[in-house]
Amino acid sequence: MYRLPKKKELDQEAIPTTSLADMMFLLLIFFIMTTTLTRVTGFVTDMPSGSSAKQAEQEKTPTVTLQGEDIRFNDQVTTLEDLKTSLKARHLELKEGDGKVVIVAATGNVKYQAYYQTLAVIQSCSGVVAIVSEDVKDTK
Amino acid sequence: MKPLKRHKMPFIPTANLVDIAILLIIFYMACSNFVSQSAAKVTLPKAEALERQKEPLVLVMIDVKGDIYLQGQPVNDAAAVQSGLATLLQDKATEEARMVMFKCDEGVSREVFEPVLSAIVEAGGIIMAVGDSLGKGK
Repeated sequence: MYRLPKKKELDQEAIPTTSLADMMFLLLIFFIMTTTLTRVTGFVTDMPSGSSAKQAEQEKTPTVTLQGEDIRFNDQVTTLEDLKTSLKARHLELKEGDGKVVIVAATGNVKYQAYYQTLAVIQSCSGVVAIVSEDVKDTK
Repeated sequence: MKPLKRHKMPFIPTANLVDIAILLIIFYMACSNFVSQSAAKVTLPKAEALERQKEPLVLVMIDVKGDIYLQGQPVNDAAAVQSGLATLLQDKATEEARMVMFKCDEGVSREVFEPVLSAIVEAGGIIMAVGDSLGKGK
């Protein structure tokens, strides 16, 4: 004959959840320690593709040349601050289309740090960067 | 004589503690960025007044050794980046969808990063160059 379980027996069948909180907090600590809530900083640059870059070069647009650690703006040695001043004086923000293009040509051993700073300056002056690599120049 | 009153120990309800912990874990799991960037070591370049950007879904990375990664997977050269990106961006119409996050180590030389930048442009991507801000960001 079936016997109804006593109250004491029912209590014994319950799943023990006392250690669940401890495990949850261990997981929580793990995620807090491993999570890096990074904020991405940078700039967006919509570079023209190869053909536009060639066209821009033909029209004698401003050119920044990076050679080793030297920065040249239209063949004049300059600094990042002076480059910014020169580009601001051109009021690129008021121009449209190819008028905004600034050619960046790098030769020799240029590190990304120098390149990045130059791009950031051009971007801050509302310029549109057009990369001219040595290979493209050679084909002309 | 009046008997001393026995004070009961205060009871702190802890039944909901687990629920809160689970919610916090879900939050951290959702916010965690286990992007496959961990394989590569990259020291970002620094520049003044960089703006905070929304993180794009596509990532191209060049580590300190000059190894190139597309979506966290190593690729051989810039041509592989271009073909891979062309596939990833083929159905993307909006500018936001065509955004490509470009992370490059500050010490990488031009011969390595320039072809990759050109490859992104040729594949129809818009470059979001990531760096660390020196000055005040907007």
